[in-house]
Amino acid sequence: MSAPVRRHLSYLMAGMRATRSTSEILQAAAPIALAVFIFGASFGVLAVAARLPAWSVVLMSALVFAGSAQFAALGVIAGGGSVLTAIFAGALLNLRFIATGIAVARSLPGGRLLRSLLGQLSIDESYAMSVRAGAPGRPDGRTLLVTGAFLYGAWVVGTVIGALLGPVLGDPKRLGLDAAFPAGFVALLWPMLTGRHAVRCAIGGAAVALALAPFTPPGIPLAGAAVVGLWLAR
Amino acid sequence: MAGPLALALVLGLASLSFIMRATGPFLPNLPSAVTERTTGLAPALLAALVAIQLTGSNGILHLDVKVPAVIVAALLAAVRLPFIVCVVAGALVAATLRALFHV
Repeated sequence: MSAPVRRHLSYLMAGMRATRSTSEILQAAAPIALAVFIFGASFGVLAVAARLPAWSVVLMSALVFAGSAQFAALGVIAGGGSVLTAIFAGALLNLRFIATGIAVARSLPGGRLLRSLLGQLSIDESYAMSVRAGAPGRPDGRTLLVTGAFLYGAWVVGTVIGALLGPVLGDPKRLGLDAAFPAGFVALLWPMLTGRHAVRCAIGGAAVALALAPFTPPGIPLAGAAVVGLWLAR
Repeated sequence: MAGPLALALVLGLASLSFIMRATGPFLPNLPSAVTERTTGLAPALLAALVAIQLTGSNGILHLDVKVPAVIVAALLAAVRLPFIVCVVAGALVAATLRALFHV
């Protein structure tokens, strides 16, 4: 099969897949929603244990809707860092949304303003699902919106449950909750180490952070790691 | 953490995240060489966060019960166990070692 024919076929197939009904999209997203729900609950428990007011924990999930960024910000706070460093850490992790935002912008309906609002439903999981459902270079907008809205609900409800459960659990240090943060970061990191480039970025990022940490104010080691990540990514 | 400080944290992170997700429709298509580079951000930052969590207040590596906790979490993540299992196992390892050895 020649390349143009193959490309044409894949567009056709993508078109057929894009007509999936809402309930089909929801069914495909259900296992991911369960994982997001549990992730949200663990974030809620740890955030309350790190002495954040429960309302602010739920508000953060409702407004930020980005697990690894929220987890990173919380890790900084739990480690005694400042609010500015925590915001900085979370924002650095969310920089990738600029790139995914450009990719999904073409697939969303409406004018620029509406599309930038709808783009708020992008997280790693909904973006990945929309890429899989779409044509090459053109993620499926409807899959992004339906999956994103579903996962948003799971994330916020999970956080509420976790924030309610948190105070019941007891003394954070005795429960080893300070070790939960590095354990959580490594658990988030591991599935990303799928190629040589990712491994290189991880080793480089950790090495630079460790090299800078004794001499620089908090936040700078993370900025250094971000630069190394961008540099080594390809 | 006091309420106003927590609110500043939430609103600061939320507004930056909002802006980053909102810029897509207003930006030209970046060359794929540029967008591909952002895929390196998450692994580099998460690895850096692990490393920083293992340093003491002086910024130098401080080897304590968090190290075995991280190793156990990494092993469990490597065999594809869910996030929560890795986190709970890491916390349990730290708590158990602390209770046993008073470290």
